[in-house]
Amino acid sequence: MVQGYETVIGLEVHLQLNTRSKAFCADDASFGGAPNTRVSAISLGHPGTLPMPNRAHVAYAVRLGLALGCHINLVSTFDRKNYFYADLPKGYQITQDKQPICSGGALDIRIGSGVRKVRIHHIHIEEDAGKSIHDQLPDASLIDLNRAGVPLLEIVTEPDLRSAEEVDAFMSAMRRLARYLDISDGNMEQGSMRCDVNVSVRRRGQHTYGTRCEIKNLNSMRFARRAIEYEAGRQIALVESGQVVEQNTLHFDPQTGTTSPLRSKEEAHDYRYFPDPDLPPLVLDTAFIESIRSQMPPLPEEVYRRFTEEYGLSNYDAALLAEEKSVALYFIELCQHTPHTKAAANLVINKLLPWRDENQADLHSFPIGLPALTELLQLIADNQISNSAAYQRLWPALLVEPGQSPAALAQSMDLLQTSDAEFIIALIDQVLAAHPGKVSEFRKGKKGLQGFFMGELMRLSQGKADPKTATAMLLQKLQAL
Amino acid sequence: MQIDEALIFRLEQLTRLELDDAERQELLHDLNHILELVEQMNSLDTTDVAPLAYVNAASTPLRNDVVGPQATPEQALRDAPRAADNCFKVPKVIDL
Repeated sequence: MVQGYETVIGLEVHLQLNTRSKAFCADDASFGGAPNTRVSAISLGHPGTLPMPNRAHVAYAVRLGLALGCHINLVSTFDRKNYFYADLPKGYQITQDKQPICSGGALDIRIGSGVRKVRIHHIHIEEDAGKSIHDQLPDASLIDLNRAGVPLLEIVTEPDLRSAEEVDAFMSAMRRLARYLDISDGNMEQGSMRCDVNVSVRRRGQHTYGTRCEIKNLNSMRFARRAIEYEAGRQIALVESGQVVEQNTLHFDPQTGTTSPLRSKEEAHDYRYFPDPDLPPLVLDTAFIESIRSQMPPLPEEVYRRFTEEYGLSNYDAALLAEEKSVALYFIELCQHTPHTKAAANLVINKLLPWRDENQADLHSFPIGLPALTELLQLIADNQISNSAAYQRLWPALLVEPGQSPAALAQSMDLLQTSDAEFIIALIDQVLAAHPGKVSEFRKGKKGLQGFFMGELMRLSQGKADPKTATAMLLQKLQAL
Repeated sequence: MQIDEALIFRLEQLTRLELDDAERQELLHDLNHILELVEQMNSLDTTDVAPLAYVNAASTPLRNDVVGPQATPEQALRDAPRAADNCFKVPKVIDL
């Protein structure tokens, strides 16, 4: 990219919600289904039908708004966005143009070790269109209206993002938040999260924004990255050669990796928004909002901060454990039983998460329960068992007999370490007696041999000597030689 | 604001309606009359009046999030001019 330019990006993120029924009628809103089986007179746009908003749709909007620190507007209104397309049966989409349900707010994103605040302009309620199938028939398109009317939230950001990397971080944070809030799976591949990207460029230090282009309907982060990078490059080249960027709606072609205008200016969409006469304003009372606030789950950012600040985990481990709510909550529960948070983090990351991925199961159904895990961590912390004996020998045995107490099992397997002085001194004497040559080298000043003696000692003890005590006692003995 | 023929053509295109000359003149006349009415209303002082989006009920009722009766594909497609594979069949237009 040419030096001296800055890319300015704003997003419109569409989140498809996991309510049971659709936004304005009672059709099944879940993903899939045989074509046109989740439709009714309302979603088909038949004359004489009336829409009625879904309480859960409204509640989800409030939940997301509260999580992002938005102002929740007690009065919001519904508008019609008019355009003709075969998968839009009514000829308009119900949306909120003038008075959206949430205004303001921000989402924190992590870039490297820093945090950036991306301001939210507003969140509004709207409904999805149906699905067009273009590749089934050579001369016609097929329309499946199962998705028509499925509830969406559109999150519109301020132009606060500066790179494809930041867009990626924003989308990941939004998906994580949606999952924590249990309002959407945020799955871009299945289309439950999509984004339109507004891109402009300006010279560094310039305060006004350049003319922006909107890239529509990006349904994967990989495409979004490529589209943004290509488009920024295209605009910079135009400016560099003295031309102007024309405001346009663009389509990104993943095959060629290029953007191209969707429609020329003369045909530019004129959506003729106007208040929907079928829908009176949406009026919320504070009790409704407060009841949602009182049931808010912990949020990913809070969890991440708790893991780094309170539990002392590395940024990497904290991010890994905070990625999913169920894992985060399990880990928090574990840490309520043990003070050894870092060892607990390693245990969950190295032993439990692989099991969960393999078995597609919740961590709470892991065969070894929380009390036994807590006990195991305590045994290690107390130097009663070495880390390697704990995970290489005791752990497999525990998996076979998950009901056993780790201490009892370690005892019966003869894995417990000892700091018994007589036992250790006997071992030291044995080691020194077996290697007279090394002992005399040590006396002549080859101090590095201490490690060799220690290794021999641990081998002889079969891992049962407490290394801390043994090191101290060995050192004492060697110094006295 | 004055409605002229160019705007009528544009509206025809946006609404996918095809008018003949007589209809076009009639609509031009009607719409300009409507605008005159609006102009008159614009002369009122509404400084302290909140914008009104809806004239009737105070607020919308809300539905509980429950799945209700749905149409079968046969019912859904009964009035469709063309159908195939339980889908509505439409001219191929690729525009996103």
